[in-house]
Amino acid sequence: MRLAGFYLFAAGVALLPVLFPDNYFVTVVGASAGLHVILAVGLNLLMGYAGQISLGHAAFFGMGAYASAILTTRFAWPGLLAMAAGLLVAGVIAWLFARPILRLRGHYLAMATLGFGIIIHVIMVQAMQWTGGPDGLAGIPPLNLLGWTIEGDEQWYGVIAAAMLLTIWLSLNIVDSRMGRALRAVRGSEFAAQMMGVDTARAKTQVFVVSALFAAFAGSLFAHQQAFVSPDSFNLMVSVELVTMVVLGGMASTFGAACGAIALTLLHQGLVVFEDYEMLIHGGLLMVVMIFLPQGLFVGLSQGARRGWANLRSRAA
Amino acid sequence: MNRTLHLLTVEGLEQSFGGVMALAGVSFQTPESLIYAIIGPNGAGKTTLFNVLCGFYPPTAGSLCFNGQELRGLPPHRIAALGIARTFQNLQLFFNMTVLENVMVGGHLRARTGLLATALRLPRVRREEQQLREWAREALELCELADRAEYPAGALPYGLMKRVEIARALAAKPRLLLLDEPAAGLNDTETMALRDLIQRIRATGITVLLVEHHMPLVMSVSDRLLVLDYGSVLAEGTPADIQVDPRVIAAYLGGAVQYAV
Repeated sequence: MRLAGFYLFAAGVALLPVLFPDNYFVTVVGASAGLHVILAVGLNLLMGYAGQISLGHAAFFGMGAYASAILTTRFAWPGLLAMAAGLLVAGVIAWLFARPILRLRGHYLAMATLGFGIIIHVIMVQAMQWTGGPDGLAGIPPLNLLGWTIEGDEQWYGVIAAAMLLTIWLSLNIVDSRMGRALRAVRGSEFAAQMMGVDTARAKTQVFVVSALFAAFAGSLFAHQQAFVSPDSFNLMVSVELVTMVVLGGMASTFGAACGAIALTLLHQGLVVFEDYEMLIHGGLLMVVMIFLPQGLFVGLSQGARRGWANLRSRAA
Repeated sequence: MNRTLHLLTVEGLEQSFGGVMALAGVSFQTPESLIYAIIGPNGAGKTTLFNVLCGFYPPTAGSLCFNGQELRGLPPHRIAALGIARTFQNLQLFFNMTVLENVMVGGHLRARTGLLATALRLPRVRREEQQLREWAREALELCELADRAEYPAGALPYGLMKRVEIARALAAKPRLLLLDEPAAGLNDTETMALRDLIQRIRATGITVLLVEHHMPLVMSVSDRLLVLDYGSVLAEGTPADIQVDPRVIAAYLGGAVQYAV
């Protein structure tokens, strides 16, 4: 069954708060992981499937967050409308930048997206009258979904989990389709993809916009959940972490990206006890994983498990 | 009236890279539903001709008329949409996909659904997926690859990979199929199977443009030949004409060589 893995994952996400009620680790860390999953799954469409790197993806995450923050606090827009505006802004900007940027390849594309991320970050810091500058914007009202106001960690966990499952479902649909194959064809051989009738410039633009929309969606939820935004949440390090999540979990696998996002979120939480040594252990673990599981955690482990199962069966037979 | 229908008419085609004239005024016409071979020594301009035809290089001068439509100035994906598909001298498979998925990319242009419908998995997307899979299976069947559909493309032996490229091109249901050295790297058995395959393809009504060095294959399978040398047409005619053409023998075959047909 095509979506078997998806239903299994959804069941796990729904069961967690039932099995561990009133657990800070499940609700708060889980919500944070959920937002990271949305970001990583979107970036994976661009990076893992279409093979186009983005080192500036936190910019779109920030656009969604700041659109919600500014429009709800300064103009008293309803949350959903502000979220829609954030998606529109991120989508249009992604579309405008995609054509010139995605003509570049490899290191040049990495540099261009890096520069893009830095520019957006500088705007967040410098446009004080709108963004509140380095201090950020506080007092973002809770999100109101058609009369229901989301409050408390459990409710936020539920909303973010639902949003995460929605994006995973969308991603799975896109990947396993004519569009998804066109994207993978671009990564496999852009030349051959063109010759088979794929409008590669258009395909790359579309996937760039989709991944920007996913990121802005996560950003908007993040702003309401935290009730506060500041430029620190959208800087270069965040962009690099997002790339790390995709690579760590396994490129060109939706669940791989999701696993990478969850693993990295948990790692950060788990390593807090090491205080000053956190980054050292963090970097060391990443290196070990990349050396021994270059296809990524999820892809590597699931391949290994499949091989082990086949061995067991052949030995039994 | 004895009028032949020409699917492709190339006139005065020139392609220069800096000071090098890869194609120096090439003209020919390809009749419909035939196998038309293009031969010539390495560097004669055969692959360049294919790349110009597919819109990969904009030609320096000349015209390319396909089924009444000028190809010059069209981007590759638009040319593909008119019904031209190809294979590649150096394999250009999508190694990140299965054989079936590779061939399904070939059907890209025969489907319509866009990104939004796809993301929401609307019912028509499901129907279209099924249709694409069916078309891909037909192409695989024709190329005798049906049992390899679920293999990763990179896990096949070289000869079969070349066949997957043909299947992928066929899944586009082209009117004109460009085969760029399909026999290169194949053993004798595989080459004979390739000849049968090319003949089966012609039987479906597809016009085949064949660039190939394997002379026994070319002479036995093609209906007409074009001989290129240094970017110019040296001769054009049936295999029987070409084999006795003194210019061809002097420039290319290097003496009076007869091939069993």
